[in-house]
Amino acid sequence: MQSESARMSSAAEARYRINAPNSKQRAVKVIALDAPSERIVKELAQRPWNGATFFTASAFGTTPKAGESFAGWLSDLAGRTKDLIDEVNSADLVVMIAAAGESAQAASIIGEACSVKRVMTTALVLGGNTVSDEALSKTLSHLRPWALMLVIASAEEYIADMLTALRA
Amino acid sequence: MLRKEQNDLLTQTGPGTPMGQMFRSSWQPALLASELPEPGCPPVRVKLLSERLLAWRDSNNKLALTDEFCAHRGVSLWFGRNEHGGLRCPYHGWKYDHTGQCVEVPSEPSESGYCQKIKLKSYPLIERGGVLWTYMGPPEKQPPLPEWEFATVPTEQSFMSKRLQECNWLQAMEGGIDSSHVSFLHSGELNSDPLFKGSKGNQYNMGDMKPVFEVVESPGGLYIGARRNAENGNYYWRITQYVLPAFTMIAPRADHPVHGHFWVPIDDHNCWAWSFDYKVTRPLSAKERKAMEDGQGIHVSYVPGTFIPAANKTNDYLVDRQAQKEGRTFSGVFGIAMQDASLQESMGPIIDRTKENLVSTDNGIIMARHKLLRALKAMEKGETPPGVSAEHQKVRSAAVVLPPDKPFKDAAKDALVVQNGREHATV
Repeated sequence: MQSESARMSSAAEARYRINAPNSKQRAVKVIALDAPSERIVKELAQRPWNGATFFTASAFGTTPKAGESFAGWLSDLAGRTKDLIDEVNSADLVVMIAAAGESAQAASIIGEACSVKRVMTTALVLGGNTVSDEALSKTLSHLRPWALMLVIASAEEYIADMLTALRA
Repeated sequence: MLRKEQNDLLTQTGPGTPMGQMFRSSWQPALLASELPEPGCPPVRVKLLSERLLAWRDSNNKLALTDEFCAHRGVSLWFGRNEHGGLRCPYHGWKYDHTGQCVEVPSEPSESGYCQKIKLKSYPLIERGGVLWTYMGPPEKQPPLPEWEFATVPTEQSFMSKRLQECNWLQAMEGGIDSSHVSFLHSGELNSDPLFKGSKGNQYNMGDMKPVFEVVESPGGLYIGARRNAENGNYYWRITQYVLPAFTMIAPRADHPVHGHFWVPIDDHNCWAWSFDYKVTRPLSAKERKAMEDGQGIHVSYVPGTFIPAANKTNDYLVDRQAQKEGRTFSGVFGIAMQDASLQESMGPIIDRTKENLVSTDNGIIMARHKLLRALKAMEKGETPPGVSAEHQKVRSAAVVLPPDKPFKDAAKDALVVQNGREHATV
């Protein structure tokens, strides 16, 4: 008699896999950390997504000074200010987009908020092959402490592929 | 997730398919040299990329990889007589040379030259590093011989094995670049397997169960770096190499041999998992070789006389629930290779990737698919895919400790390519 594993891993048995949704929509927040990334994120936002939302932190490159709040620290792509903490609170995943060689200082604020709220972070660096090692190091030094997954990609199209793969 | 048409594109490798064309652009391991041990030895059936072939070494020591079936009535030439510089069909005596050219049709007058009109499809077969490699693409595009480092060291410095894996090549390969499963599925082996244990890197591994991953594009594919904390604020990096379409090399541990894989489609529901181990500057010790032959490390023990793993789907992979409960193995299956294979085969012959729910740590897999799809598009425009050139093949995995802000691709640049006469960078 065939073993259970042999029987159940056959092509014929694959037909009986339950064909019902096995996940709910995830809240993926995509944040551009600098001006070059903002352009890319704006283009991405025009595509149809499964609930992903897009923001920019490029105007807020530095840590808020003592007493400043995070309330207006993020903006959507229409330029409306957004509360970072609110956005992180409702996120399952925060994707930070940075251009290689640009300062990714905003990552520390976003990353810290995600760390406090235990939200997964992914950083995507574009154009890693187009800048010097030193310039890339500068970007990485800001991202690494806060990104639980980091990708250095050559093609902008990778962001769309990644978000699609993640059902964003 | 992938759309259905993308999944089909990446998983179908038969003749005429785009992905099949990518595999047909470079030399692929076809069989172990030991399977054709001497001139005139019995032929071996080989199915590759959904084509039924026959490998044989003629009595003059010429290697052949030809259509399995006689052009006359379609019988398998596996029953053929390997004699006098050719393979003779036992049915009516038609005889073929190592190029597949028919050289005798006994029922026809030899003066008629009829045999000249008969030629079986054949592919070049060459021996390198204990492996017989074939190139199944257009002859005018045949690339230089394979330059993978394990295949260029003296044979006493390397060990090669293969095993049947009963699922599509892509789900097997994706396991090879899925670094985040190691801390779970293989956690029992790091400190017990003779080909893994005893490295300082293992201490970093076990001291930090939540590595941070970085995926970086390389000329031939990807570097997948797993980062853990080391002393003085530095990072311990394990850098895996993936070269398109189906080569992976795992980061080394201490002075153990370095290992990796090829995942070569047999057909769309089966693949060969090739596993190599090698050292650059020394022969493998008798103890290391024995461990590999016994199926330790990334190798397996077999059903005698086959390349089917002894633990396989027909015996439920010899799953041991008590060992699982006691933590001796995480899944209940023993051995790194079969821990992977059991789960990958359980997905079914070709997993429906429209249903999966990938997470952020799957970016290595996502990027590999992205690179494969991009390469397929570029091939449509006539470009050579990654993995064909020697530069893409002369790569190494590495285990290194680096300062915290350094891009590993640059800081470990020398360690990620072949350095003649120098061992891998390892911790």
